[in-house]
Amino acid sequence: MRAEWAKQLSRAFLLLLGVVVVLPALAHGERNQEPFLRMRTAHFYDVKWSADKIAVNDEVVITGRFRLFEDWPMNLPQPDRVFVGNGTPGPVLARTESYINGHAAIQSGKLMLDRDYEFKTVLKGRIPGRHHVHPMVNVEGAGPLLGPGSWVEIGGDHRDFKLPLTTLDGTKIEDLETWGVANVVRWEGFWLLTALVFAGWWLRRPLLMTRYRALHEGHEAALVTRGDRLWAAAFLTGTVLTVFAGAHWAENRYPRTIPLQAGQFRIDPLPKDEHEINIQVKRATYDVPGRSMKMTLVIHNPLPHPVQMGEFMTAGLRFVNHELPAAMAQVDARYPAELLPRTGLTLHDKAPIAPGETRTVDIEATDAVWETERLTSLLTDPDNRVGGLLFFFDDAGQRHIANLSGAIVPVFIGS
Amino acid sequence: MSTPIKPPAEGDFVDIYGVRWSRWAAQLSARLDVIISIIIALAVTAAFHLHFQLLAGDWDFWVDWKDRQYWVTLTPIVAITFPAALQYVLWEKFRIPLGATLSITCLMVGAWIARIFGFHLWSYFPFSLIWPVLMIPGALVLDCVLVLTGNFFFTAVIGGMGFAVLFYPSNWPMLAAYRLPVEIMGTLVSVGDYIGYTFTRTATPEYLRFIERGTLRTFGGHSAWVASAFSGFVCVLTYLLWWHIGMLLSKVTTLPNRWRSMFGMAPDQTAATAPVESHDAR
Repeated sequence: MRAEWAKQLSRAFLLLLGVVVVLPALAHGERNQEPFLRMRTAHFYDVKWSADKIAVNDEVVITGRFRLFEDWPMNLPQPDRVFVGNGTPGPVLARTESYINGHAAIQSGKLMLDRDYEFKTVLKGRIPGRHHVHPMVNVEGAGPLLGPGSWVEIGGDHRDFKLPLTTLDGTKIEDLETWGVANVVRWEGFWLLTALVFAGWWLRRPLLMTRYRALHEGHEAALVTRGDRLWAAAFLTGTVLTVFAGAHWAENRYPRTIPLQAGQFRIDPLPKDEHEINIQVKRATYDVPGRSMKMTLVIHNPLPHPVQMGEFMTAGLRFVNHELPAAMAQVDARYPAELLPRTGLTLHDKAPIAPGETRTVDIEATDAVWETERLTSLLTDPDNRVGGLLFFFDDAGQRHIANLSGAIVPVFIGS
Repeated sequence: MSTPIKPPAEGDFVDIYGVRWSRWAAQLSARLDVIISIIIALAVTAAFHLHFQLLAGDWDFWVDWKDRQYWVTLTPIVAITFPAALQYVLWEKFRIPLGATLSITCLMVGAWIARIFGFHLWSYFPFSLIWPVLMIPGALVLDCVLVLTGNFFFTAVIGGMGFAVLFYPSNWPMLAAYRLPVEIMGTLVSVGDYIGYTFTRTATPEYLRFIERGTLRTFGGHSAWVASAFSGFVCVLTYLLWWHIGMLLSKVTTLPNRWRSMFGMAPDQTAATAPVESHDAR
């Protein structure tokens, strides 16, 4: 009876172990990034994925914009060297093209704070599976700053993947994955064999103890003979000649080569709005038990049209004002549902803000997503500030973007 | 190997390198050679590979890091260390001139194992991006110079310089194909640049590359040879340093056991007479 019980227990343990061991790794840890990195650096908006299901060799295009936030954290270096990349689990997709404001983004360069940039990245399906794909900017010294991530499923067989290319000297490369690899294996294999032949000359004879004893009993001449020296001289000469013959062959085979390219791009930002809506955060609190961010904002509208607040966006989360059709129309069907809180944005004063008017408005963004996205840890940050973008819409449906940043106070006791 | 070893009969002796051995002891010694050689090869592979990854890792990992300046300068300097130390041990104790060839071959085998299993099968990187460098020609030169001169100083000067100077031309037959020019999105890059760009390293953006950014252009565009010459000079010094590290690490040293009294044992008698005793075979 006891043996049966022990057997059952061990089966249950093995099952549990199996479940724990085979749990898949979801995404790649973007929620572990500190809230200040996600709320006050690069704000990605209008992000769209052209497809969520592709085959190997098919393309998925990610487009959108990002703003390098005005209230950039003082502990991060300025974006003097930035590379626009993509957050994927390694090279599961091949990045074939990327652009900033229509210019090639194969290299890095300087971008400006409080300015907007349009990006486009073309990715080609390579490794089958379900992969989490983010747009991303890398800032030197600050590291990778991820945009929102969406799942892309790649079907087919990796062996069908091909990435052909034609060089400027007319060489046709069938597939970049395998280009030059056979030559590497042949050349390294030849030298590995040569090394084994050289070593074999010595290893075929008695080795350690016998040589140690002979050396210390004064029989050195028997250990390294004239034949050994001739062997070494032949190898020395042969090695040097073969190396230079190989290099000479390569020079003739590929006469037109260039060094690695290390230039930097110079790209101007998108034009700035002539009149920007000004936001002052009068008070911002985060209600911990209620999972609600509440803010009192002083909003000044310098535009010649009345505007209404349509969306509060931070760290990829989009709190949308459901009562404003122009704001709802901006939500792409493929935008990750987990980043679109169902409750949306609540306004306590829904009337449009008239041209030239300055008004104090209370807003609320309430959802468990603050916890699930691990953004509440901003309350334990030494630089305790919240940042994001507010999207306003005028009566013609035109969008106007404003920066929002200010100190935030936690509320631990529910009212 | 499966033949049982029998104690020697009377008069059953062999002469090895002018020294008289019983056939039984010689057989035992031969088996020990095999066992110790395997252990040394595994230990050198692991230790040297770790050392090399930590100090020259990215330049060796990626085809778009193999530049004409830092890769050419740094790799031989980092790679000549274990060959020098192992050459001391194998040459001074056994007169075996295989220290460099053995360690570099072990490094190459270790690197290929890591590339196949860690980089390719586990992380999906193509071999065109991750092939490891070749340093066997330089290692052969180091060992051959040691045999011919029998002198560690000349090996350092001639072999050390040769190790660095041969590095770039011995890799060029593989690398040249990755330096063909190509136009991508209206920008001129090399095939290697584009391979590095295409097969994404999520946390390794382009700007992280420590590659030539034009500081050696004043030498007529021959950056690689200037870098090789400088690397050769530093390799000579590094060789001398690591030869001495090999010497220090192969000393048999005994230290007095100061912990005996803690376990209620009598103090170490050797400690009283000889606090530190060193036996250098030379």
